[in-house]
Amino acid sequence: MKKRSLAKKVEPKRGSKAAKNLPVKNVRTKRGAESHTHEMRWVGKPLQRREETRLVQGKGTFVDDNRFEGMLHIKMVRSPYAHARVTRVDVTAATAAPGVVCTLTGAEVATLVKPFPEIGPEQGQKIVDLPMGVEKVRYQGEPVAAVVAESAMQAEDAAELVEVDYEPLSPVMDCEAAIKDESILHESAGTNRNWHGNFEYGNVDKAFAKAAHVVEIDRLHFHRFSSTPLENNAVIAEWNLKEERVNFWTNNSFPAFAAQFLSPALGVRIDQMRMQSIDIGGGFGIKITNYPYMALCALASRKMGGRPVKWIETRTEHMLASAHGNERTFLKTRVALDASGVITAIESTHVDDCGAYPRYEPLGCIIWAQVLPGAYRIKNMRIDFSQTVTNKCPVGPNRGYSRMQHLWFLERVMDICGHALGISNDLIRERNYIRKEEFPYTTPNGCVYDSGNYSKMLRIAKQLVGYDEWLTKQKAARAEGRMLGIGIGTTLDSGTNNFGQARIINAFAPYSGQSKAANVKLDIYGEVVVFLGSVPQGQGHETTAAQVVAEVLQIPPEMIHVRPGFDSDQNVYTGHTGTYASQFAVSGLSAIHGAAMKLHAQLAKLAAFAMKAKEKDLEFGVGEQGPEVRVKGAKKSMNYWALANLVYVNNAELPQSFEDITLNCRHVYKAPFTVPDIKRKYGNLTLTYAAQLHLAVIEIDRETYQPKILAYAAVDDCGRAINPLIVEGQVHGCAAHGIGAALMEDCRYGPDGDMLASTFSDYTPITAMNMPDLLYGYLETPSPFSYNGAKGMGEGGAAPVHTICAALQDALYPSGIIIGDSHNTGDSIFQAVTNAKRGAATTNVKHESRRKAS
Amino acid sequence: MQINFGGDFTVKKPIEEVYSFLTDANQFCPLLPDFKSMKKEDERHFVVTVRVGVSHIRGDAKLKMELLETQSPSRAVYQGKGDVLGGTATLTAGFNLEKAGAGTKVIWKGESQIVGRMASLAGGLLEPLAKKNVEKLIQGLQNALE
Repeated sequence: MKKRSLAKKVEPKRGSKAAKNLPVKNVRTKRGAESHTHEMRWVGKPLQRREETRLVQGKGTFVDDNRFEGMLHIKMVRSPYAHARVTRVDVTAATAAPGVVCTLTGAEVATLVKPFPEIGPEQGQKIVDLPMGVEKVRYQGEPVAAVVAESAMQAEDAAELVEVDYEPLSPVMDCEAAIKDESILHESAGTNRNWHGNFEYGNVDKAFAKAAHVVEIDRLHFHRFSSTPLENNAVIAEWNLKEERVNFWTNNSFPAFAAQFLSPALGVRIDQMRMQSIDIGGGFGIKITNYPYMALCALASRKMGGRPVKWIETRTEHMLASAHGNERTFLKTRVALDASGVITAIESTHVDDCGAYPRYEPLGCIIWAQVLPGAYRIKNMRIDFSQTVTNKCPVGPNRGYSRMQHLWFLERVMDICGHALGISNDLIRERNYIRKEEFPYTTPNGCVYDSGNYSKMLRIAKQLVGYDEWLTKQKAARAEGRMLGIGIGTTLDSGTNNFGQARIINAFAPYSGQSKAANVKLDIYGEVVVFLGSVPQGQGHETTAAQVVAEVLQIPPEMIHVRPGFDSDQNVYTGHTGTYASQFAVSGLSAIHGAAMKLHAQLAKLAAFAMKAKEKDLEFGVGEQGPEVRVKGAKKSMNYWALANLVYVNNAELPQSFEDITLNCRHVYKAPFTVPDIKRKYGNLTLTYAAQLHLAVIEIDRETYQPKILAYAAVDDCGRAINPLIVEGQVHGCAAHGIGAALMEDCRYGPDGDMLASTFSDYTPITAMNMPDLLYGYLETPSPFSYNGAKGMGEGGAAPVHTICAALQDALYPSGIIIGDSHNTGDSIFQAVTNAKRGAATTNVKHESRRKAS
Repeated sequence: MQINFGGDFTVKKPIEEVYSFLTDANQFCPLLPDFKSMKKEDERHFVVTVRVGVSHIRGDAKLKMELLETQSPSRAVYQGKGDVLGGTATLTAGFNLEKAGAGTKVIWKGESQIVGRMASLAGGLLEPLAKKNVEKLIQGLQNALE
């Protein structure tokens, strides 16, 4: 991937000499907990990621690296049908195959586990979700049987001998068909509509009555794509019958959530399960829902007397049957605007497709509302929101989950209205953006945007690409009949979510708030050890954790030992522990910072006692004998080993009043949330709002209709960056993910329910070869709601999807084409042009101008 | 994916003889393209092994066949089902026979549904391949009945 950063032209490069000369911003939380009063030595510096050395040298511990005595291997037998009754499963031949030790069938599994809990209310509660299809299968790839053997190859060979008879049923392949309930997936629920709710704020009817312009858009569609991590799902389960414990080694990225689903299903207490997620080869949310496979491995292990059972997912299995991102259709959208193009109201019907089983859903039915008006001052909104099940792979909370679909919708609305009213794509945004002086900004549904300056981000992006020059080039290109478009995408990355929003989905959901736990200790030999309690998958948690602790103790990050990964037997954790919702910099680091501050306080008390000094006269740093606490201006110091010795080994010298000094400090960060008003669907759903603004110039080839990116800029505002190098890397990653999603990647299905992109040859994930030169800029508007001014980031809000669609529409609008789908290729653009010529556009727009009314 | 096929041809043999041929699995099944073997379970049920494949995706498929419907001497319908390279294929093939002078007019119609890996990976190739195989089967039938 080529990288050409022009950021220094706009802002001093983070960590550079010029940046050091900037005044240090004092950041104060609303709760008044902490302010930075000194120049940061480690936080805010672009330190190399410490994880990289370990991982690139093959020293990581991924699930498949584990080899245990007597370990067995499991292979799933999967349904080729998207929707069918299972009439017979015969494992006789498979059982007799070489190396096979046992099998599992759906009927057997149904007697061994209880259905997984459902988050949704009413009809959602009636859905029966078991780890295997029993009488019915509901998506292609759903497991119907499993074969366990001494080797993976033997299990795979024997799995082909399992005979299964199916009675095909009519598959439901899109949410618009699903909502008609002509073919029902879950008879127990009686409907395919998994959730429905009305979200109405302000006075929508009044705004439409006063509107100078009304724009109507009949249909928009956000497609399915996934994260396609380098490492597929993987599980080892060992049901230790002697200890009555189930040990899991997995790459699940939200083990605290998985445990809450596995415990009632398997009938074991949560403390009887050991959850270990050490190194994870990518994920971005979709590994949160791999717990059905954890259950199957556990059952197989129990059946075989406690021998460990390993399951390593193949790529095709991953594409077919792990988790995809949500697909969403936006119908009957009406937009009210004033004479200048300011949007005064939106009403629309949104239908989300969650695939065959809800699992993490229907949380996505509320999570989009964290960004209800997007980056804009839209006061009046009425959204009719439904979610349906369909005969497709279940969804998982894929990067930018639920919000990106809604933000894409708003960005499409902005561009379509701009074109309809003849207002340029930058000007219509400038007129609608929330202004910098309006922060903290309360949205119509009670969310509080902490900080931001979207107009300035746009200016930076324009400067990076040379916007004015491109406008001139565009004019010349159009004169030659070339299709060249410029697109802008403004997106939000809401971080540190309030689980109380689950109560809007289901008033009885036992979730609210947000918390993270961390442990920082000085061990017996004076080493500082940090247990994260998070589950990183490439976000650099080890590095940033070390930076934060180093800052508190005033020692270099290299002297901080951060234990990678999560192990429920070793780590401190809460029910919210996991890596999701762009929050580590806020919630995770707040927990680590809190624990480090406690250790700091204990060391200070101990050192003051031992050196007969006052705590206010002490300073922390590194001396000749390593990290130490010393008396300012005096030649008195104690290194960490000596201080640890006083507590762990030589503690008879300490008075009784020191019994609370353990040097083993745990801190739980609890985000300042309240439970939202369920009836009004109103409240603060998330703590911070990072933003990204992308700008793309695209030309569509006149012969092949293949779009080509000519220039691309990404501007990030994640508040105070803890490690600018990691931030920039995450921006590159989200840009790649989004560009791939917009132009290449599509989890498409045929009408019979065949998944047509079950290999990378068909799915075509983006590679470095497909990436354009990326121009990177940044802006820091510190959050007033986090101790460190950080806002969290990494999900990126699918900014490239918005941006590329906007650029394509800009290129094609002169041909009368509206971009109504989030996935566009040379083929689909050719089809759109052909359809437009036939007067059969897939997205139709009506513009009614009532200028006199305004 | 669903593939439909159909057509007709006329042969010189009388209708009774054609019917007898079509309803005798021992005679009919070897005409299936890439036929390897057949195991008869009873007069109406048998398992046929055929070699199948698209490009480099190749393997043997066992088709469970049933002579579903017979109306002597005018109609015979076969139904088959098998696991094919990680997917499943179902097949229905019907023959309606009419006297055509001294010979017989054979009107044939069928449909096949293929789901799973084969359809996912090679969906675009299946229809022309199926058409080619059906043509081979019909040609074989014509040759056998001439």
